[in-house]
Amino acid sequence: MNLVIEQYTITTTPKYNFPQPTTDTILPQRFLELSLHSLRQVHNQAFQVNQQTFQQLSSLEQNPANLQLKRTPIPLKPDYHETIIAAVDTSTIKIGETSQGIIIAIRGATIWKQNRNYRYTRLGPFIFHITEDNKKEVYNTLETAYFHTSYSSSHQVTPNLMQMPTRLSSLLERWLQAMLSRTVTNGLILFDGSLTSGTIDTPVQRMKEILNIARRNGNTVLAFSKMTNLRVNGYLITDLLPEQEPPYLLETTGLQFKPPTTLLGDVYVARLNKANYAFRLDIDREIPLQDRMRALEKLIGNDLYTQSYPETLRLAHILCTFTANEVLAMQHFITRKHGIQIVNRPDMHRLLFGPFGKGEGYA
Amino acid sequence: MKLYKKEGNILQILSFPTENAEKGDYLLVEDAEAGKALIAQVIDVQFACIPGVLEELLRTLPDGGEPIRGEDIDPLEIAPHITYIQDASLLICKIRATLENSMLTPSSSWLPSRSQSLVKKLSIPMLLKLANVDGKLPIILGGTKDTSLLTIDASALDGRLNIITGKKETGKSHLSKLLMVSLVGYKATVVVFDLNGEYSSLGMSADGKRNMYYDKIHALTPAQNFKVALNELHLNVIMGILIHALHLPGTSAREFRRIWKTLKEKGNLTLHELGETIRNLNCNQHVRDALSSRFHALVNSGFFTDNAAESTLLDECLQKAKEHGGAIVVNLRNTSTIDRQIVVEYVLGKLVDSLTNWKLKAVFLFAEEAHLYLRETYWDDIVTRMRHFGIFTTFITNQPDTIRESIYRQADNIFLFNFTNEHDLDVVSRAARVDAETVRSIARDLPPQHCLTLGHVVRDFPMVARVRTLDLKTMGETRLFFKDTN
Repeated sequence: MNLVIEQYTITTTPKYNFPQPTTDTILPQRFLELSLHSLRQVHNQAFQVNQQTFQQLSSLEQNPANLQLKRTPIPLKPDYHETIIAAVDTSTIKIGETSQGIIIAIRGATIWKQNRNYRYTRLGPFIFHITEDNKKEVYNTLETAYFHTSYSSSHQVTPNLMQMPTRLSSLLERWLQAMLSRTVTNGLILFDGSLTSGTIDTPVQRMKEILNIARRNGNTVLAFSKMTNLRVNGYLITDLLPEQEPPYLLETTGLQFKPPTTLLGDVYVARLNKANYAFRLDIDREIPLQDRMRALEKLIGNDLYTQSYPETLRLAHILCTFTANEVLAMQHFITRKHGIQIVNRPDMHRLLFGPFGKGEGYA
Repeated sequence: MKLYKKEGNILQILSFPTENAEKGDYLLVEDAEAGKALIAQVIDVQFACIPGVLEELLRTLPDGGEPIRGEDIDPLEIAPHITYIQDASLLICKIRATLENSMLTPSSSWLPSRSQSLVKKLSIPMLLKLANVDGKLPIILGGTKDTSLLTIDASALDGRLNIITGKKETGKSHLSKLLMVSLVGYKATVVVFDLNGEYSSLGMSADGKRNMYYDKIHALTPAQNFKVALNELHLNVIMGILIHALHLPGTSAREFRRIWKTLKEKGNLTLHELGETIRNLNCNQHVRDALSSRFHALVNSGFFTDNAAESTLLDECLQKAKEHGGAIVVNLRNTSTIDRQIVVEYVLGKLVDSLTNWKLKAVFLFAEEAHLYLRETYWDDIVTRMRHFGIFTTFITNQPDTIRESIYRQADNIFLFNFTNEHDLDVVSRAARVDAETVRSIARDLPPQHCLTLGHVVRDFPMVARVRTLDLKTMGETRLFFKDTN
């Protein structure tokens, strides 16, 4: 049966051509094709509802012994000069299980702020039926579509079925990051997470390419991590805040990871307002020091802050996150469009331990 | 639709937007395995408590100001499913009956299967059929939401006490006219206390031509074409007028009774003779004054005459109505409060008299805003004693608190139009044949001309219908100052 797929088009905004029609849009199209293809395989089957969310955990950070945190804060002064701020985030959720695999949904969001207004583009949700049989095909097809390298050629181990949601989500996130790097000029691009690469879903070359493109377009990439495991003398770096009026930065030194993990940014601790929260901040290492500070000052001068976290990035996260209502809607969609019946498989924890079984998620 | 909860006789049913269930609709909750079904009526529609809806709404207003603008690229078209789920509603339904082997019982004691039950809409014609609402004397009240007709049986009004109520300009009088002409069509005798002169022209169609009821509508206007000769009056009728309408004290009443009997025996029972007798009466000054003032009130009403040719015999009209069906419309429009009470006392007394003597089989009495002319003691009389004589009353009012609570408790049928005032709804909800939640919830949202019918006529299945139009010259329109300027 031939599947006719509507051509995916992204409309342009007159202000700064975001995203441009010439931009490589093949990834979403492949996402859609694979999404539909994978769902067709599961047609008229029964599936078990599940609402387990996958947190896109940053790869396990080693904690180098020689990590130091400079105690002298670098004060920051807001620069109100109009600057475009863009951010990207993706999220994934498992919406059910079938006898062969899992059904997941992925969605990405880009937010940009210009002239005091926030705008967004939300991509998805894409729903996939991932099985042991098709996981390689799905991942490789998507990876090749954008990065021109297939999974098998990159000498990585085959991802486990349960890792597939975060792997596919990362793929979409990298593509959205690359899109922003290409389309935004002289702006600030905010990533969720760190600029650590060489991990299973962030090859060094891929991240370098994204940063290079961003730099060529006069952009500065700032990556905020909501959580970090980096510690100095046993304390989390984000807990070691000096008595200094925010906003300020604390610089770290001596951070090195074992290959193949590579840091493409310099790591800071950023406290951007009076809220008693600080975040790990990675700034593209190729950006001159003075430009880094200027970028951060523009960020402070142009964006809003809720608990020291940039609003643009917060909105990107909020807009891509799946709500319970959306999960219900997606279950409704796959039931209606693909004839998949919802079945209730008993929760073994509940079944065996009664009120003492807190559900499988608490195993 | 899916059965979600049952608490007492309340069902909660989950419904999706495409299923279009509204207040007043009937649902059939069918449990095939149990071989039974519940018949429930939607009395309220709420949003279903969908997890995540709050987050969904919040993220469209991130800073509490303008909604964030952007573009959703949703190639799988999930968005319609999201709104479909978000707009799901929870139908609060009242169980009306259980259907088992095509028989209806008012039970709600069993629990249908939540997972296996099939919930579907029950059309009004089907419900009417199940409830045996149809009969040999159909009266089409109007159309229901599902374009079917709500038909009641005229015999369900027979021997019953009915109330038509609702706020102003919602269509109460229109419905009472519809019921009245329908009863006349079935050769019933109808008496109407027409407070605003609305019923006199019902024998004409809207274009002014005579209609099928022309010969059956007998409009009587007191002091004009409706006068009574004293010698045709029964003593108990005139005593009723004097005591109840004109508040004649007991001693004076005894004296009047004596005068009346004396004149009657002499064959001199005329206004003139009565006046002279009172004037020349040798008795206590106060008694004479009391009788004299009541006599002048009777004379001034213009309702009484000595001229036999002038007097319209109510008996004749009633006799005609008895033979061919008809309505005696007592036009009280330009009548003063006292005169109104005199006329009503006379008519009611006359009716009781005729019914007691089996001159009449039964009468349907339509009383608009009865508190304006009905004495206190008559309320209970009408719903108890007079019902046994064969007077079956329909009260029509826009002030439900003017009708006593005992009347509501004994009302067999209630035709309820829109009310928004909580106090009014509270009063009506005291009726024994309906539950307060149904009245409060449905009546508040009724559009004009829509009537919630409750009680015996619909076999206790409350039903909403838009009252059908009538090709009648209705009169009674409110006189407007700006009518011709627009």
